[in-house]
Amino acid sequence: MSAHSHSDKFVYHEPGLQHQFDDMGQQEESVSLGMWLFLAQEIMFFGGLFTAYLVMRSKYPLAFASGSNHLDAFLGGANTLVLIVSSLTMALTVYYAQKGNRNMQVGLIVLTMLFGLTFLGIKAYEYTDKYNHGLVPMAGLNRRVKADSPASEHVGLVLPGETAVSASEAKPGAEPYVNPHGEFQWREYELVQHMMDKQRAEPNGHYLTLNEQLTYSTSPGSLVLDKDKFRDKVRIFFYIYFVMTGLHALHMIIGLGIMTWLLWMAFKGTFNAEYFSPVEMSGLYWHFVDIVWIFLFPLLYLLGRHYEHLGL
Amino acid sequence: METVGAIEAGSYGTAKLNYLNNGSTLKSWLLTKDHKRIAIMYLISVSAFFLMGGLYAAAIRLELLTPASDLFETGTYNKVFTQHGILMVFFFLIPSIPAVLGNFLIPIMIGAKDLALPRINLLSLYIYWIGGAITLWALMQGGVDTGWTFYTPYSTTFSNTYVLAVGVGIFINGFSSILTGVNFLVTIHTMRAPGMTWFRLPLFVWSHYAVSLIFVLGTPVVAITLLLVAIERVAHVGIFDPALGGDPILFQHMFWFYSHPAVYIMVLPGMGIVSELLANFARKRIFGYEFVAFSSIGIAVFGFLVWGHHMFVSGQSMYASLVFSFLTMVVAIPSAIKMFNWTATLYQGSISFDTPMLYGLAFMGLFLIGGFTGLYLGALGLDVHLTDTYFVIGHFHYVMVGGQVIAYLGGLHYWWPKMTGKMYSEFWGRVAAMLIFVGFNLTFFPQLILGYLGMPRRYAAYPPEFQVLNIFSTAGASVLGVGLTMPLFYFLHSLVKGKPAPDNPWLLPGLEWRTSSPPPTENFDTPPVVTWEIYDFGDESGLDLEAAKREAATINA
Amino acid sequence: MAEQTTEHHNPHIEVPNEHIGIPGYLGVFAVLVVGTILTYYVALMDLDWIFPGANTLVALGIAFTKMTVVGLFFMHVRWSPRLVWMSAVGAFFWLTIMFAYTMQDYLTRGTGFFGH
Repeated sequence: MSAHSHSDKFVYHEPGLQHQFDDMGQQEESVSLGMWLFLAQEIMFFGGLFTAYLVMRSKYPLAFASGSNHLDAFLGGANTLVLIVSSLTMALTVYYAQKGNRNMQVGLIVLTMLFGLTFLGIKAYEYTDKYNHGLVPMAGLNRRVKADSPASEHVGLVLPGETAVSASEAKPGAEPYVNPHGEFQWREYELVQHMMDKQRAEPNGHYLTLNEQLTYSTSPGSLVLDKDKFRDKVRIFFYIYFVMTGLHALHMIIGLGIMTWLLWMAFKGTFNAEYFSPVEMSGLYWHFVDIVWIFLFPLLYLLGRHYEHLGL
Repeated sequence: METVGAIEAGSYGTAKLNYLNNGSTLKSWLLTKDHKRIAIMYLISVSAFFLMGGLYAAAIRLELLTPASDLFETGTYNKVFTQHGILMVFFFLIPSIPAVLGNFLIPIMIGAKDLALPRINLLSLYIYWIGGAITLWALMQGGVDTGWTFYTPYSTTFSNTYVLAVGVGIFINGFSSILTGVNFLVTIHTMRAPGMTWFRLPLFVWSHYAVSLIFVLGTPVVAITLLLVAIERVAHVGIFDPALGGDPILFQHMFWFYSHPAVYIMVLPGMGIVSELLANFARKRIFGYEFVAFSSIGIAVFGFLVWGHHMFVSGQSMYASLVFSFLTMVVAIPSAIKMFNWTATLYQGSISFDTPMLYGLAFMGLFLIGGFTGLYLGALGLDVHLTDTYFVIGHFHYVMVGGQVIAYLGGLHYWWPKMTGKMYSEFWGRVAAMLIFVGFNLTFFPQLILGYLGMPRRYAAYPPEFQVLNIFSTAGASVLGVGLTMPLFYFLHSLVKGKPAPDNPWLLPGLEWRTSSPPPTENFDTPPVVTWEIYDFGDESGLDLEAAKREAATINA
Repeated sequence: MAEQTTEHHNPHIEVPNEHIGIPGYLGVFAVLVVGTILTYYVALMDLDWIFPGANTLVALGIAFTKMTVVGLFFMHVRWSPRLVWMSAVGAFFWLTIMFAYTMQDYLTRGTGFFGH
């Protein structure tokens, strides 16, 4: 910000002051600016993914809407609230660190970590659900279900409150769920079929984009749905979903590591009104991760959900 | 890292405690937080990568001596030029000036004791080593053949080489650049000495400020892009593979969003050095200081708006091509401002032709050609003819080698006495500079002609009518190789037998010349207070030139 | 930037430690919770009758509001030096560059005056 003034006559070394700085003000300014620049690079890091999302969504809006509708928006919303609470406890941690209140700091850091863990737990639950239903976009990483085998023989996790779907237990009328090689499976074509039919009836309508009319059809312009081609586009949605939420979860895990260190420091009573910048910097990181989720939630879980009104 | 104690005036060289002799154990180097020691370790690592990349370049030129692909199989040739590109771009050109000279000089030039975040600085060196080690391992396992650009879907689907490992290596290496950029920005903002206002900063510092902006805002994007390529290779899901519904042009957008600004990473620091060299060796305040300073920032900002000119023939919309072509012409303006100002600086200056200045002048000529050929390529119609020909190779080597490498060598010669406390042989320095200049032009000017005639890049074989110019090019490469090897020898020789350098060998007013050679660990015995304007060669600079001359004479005697 | 100032920005002296105090933090928290619930229910409504893509705009509008609130109050940007403002806003500006210049390609493909 400014050229700093310093006097070499009276060098007063405060505790926690590193050798290259003249005073605590300069140190805090440097550290805080460094953290913000790091966050700026984080914005660009996630920004690359958001660009990929933007381009792919603009190419295949209906496939993304179908994929979005399949995610559990309730769990996503719950996770958003969990993160918001953890952001509040983090903000209060900084508040109490400035006051030098050790017990409140320790308690609030523990709470923040608990909410962070809750978030990861819910995320893990969601991932497992995707695994069980063949929605992980990489072949071989889904639960393997052989034709006509009883549920108990299936490899992999079955979530509480859910029975493993086997070929013999499938809903009447639906095709049995078989996935012997653990490949990506997609079974919901009602929405795109509906739009395709309308587009065929009204060739000048805007039910599908021009690109979609070409890329979902059996042959360009035929407006007859090719399920395999559509499935590939939904797979791209789930790929982006997993990369974005996975990278976000990785940031959460790193955040929990930082919190563990912070907890130890706070427990030792390191922070007070004079020296609390580690708490503040960790807080910035934690809030940033929260902000990323604030955008991921609507983009991945919510957009396209209004198609549910079609009752398909 | 204790503060250096009071030193008697008039003692030189090894007698004085400086950053080099302040601790000699391996640990005192590997765990140092001193920006100068980190810079020296960067210098050694970067030179090693330059040597390796240079050997690949020699292999390419040998293969192209004859029209047939007789030295290598075509597949091997693909690997050779890819690895030349990867080593040179990611592990030499990008870190060369910022991580070595920038690291060493920025704190000294602004009058600080160290960078603002010394531990982050050390971390960035280790990240660079880890990324480099992974890449080298992959190269030894069999290498990679995608070209340094990793274009999809070849890199994600078809290539059978070590794309994943090299991608991971470069991904990791990217964070080294990011941390360096963050560190420089913070340091320039918060660590300036009293009186060191923004417009008293050396232009070297301004250009590093601009480069750091690109590091921080661009590098993460290429990191995430390579991560997506790596995942796509493993998982076979494609946002980049058209067969799976993806879009290869999306990869190109994301890749060039960083990699075009990265081209400016590879020339802006060089421009900073050349601004120093021209002003100081013409002993004249640089013409239009503010314009040169802000043109660096202008290049950094506009550099982010032109990436689409790499994609004119790859399926980008015609509208986007028009916009990008126009903006490419716009980004030439700040570069031209620099050229005009440098020329005006030389006018009526008292120029001395020491070795660093020879490099400075060489830069001006070579960058002029590099810049103008860039305008040819940015012109939408002409680019269709020139895309993927040797004209492109010639163009960017004129900028990268003629710009950055020449400037890097100039800077290395200029600050070598400060960094090591030793003088190199001026005679051999000039000989090497001349050889490099002649060899460089002989290598790359024929390539511009070859490309214009239609010789495509990235092929091991070519029609026989191109052979004469290719022989010129290979002959030039040999001269260039000899020229580039010479500094290695006389620099090493100077370390052992060189004369001790005075504190101010070039008799200049800059802050780095007001501390001892080599500097103490905390850079200055007493923290400096700046009261003079930058590039002020008159009496107001407060520099006792007579004393500096006497000191130099004592050493020479 | 402001090279005239010679004193450091010192958080101990110039900035009140409490920023907005506990009631303030709780107020921000309430805004975030309301925003989350709102965005969930609005997403279920079909807003295409206003104009196509209205749902997207509303969802992003709410997300931006939430981000701004978190940034200004939880991350103390409101009380931070101008440089912090610049790095936060600058990064978003650069992201906009990336979005805009990428999309100017995709949105002008195939159809319209420049289509091929």
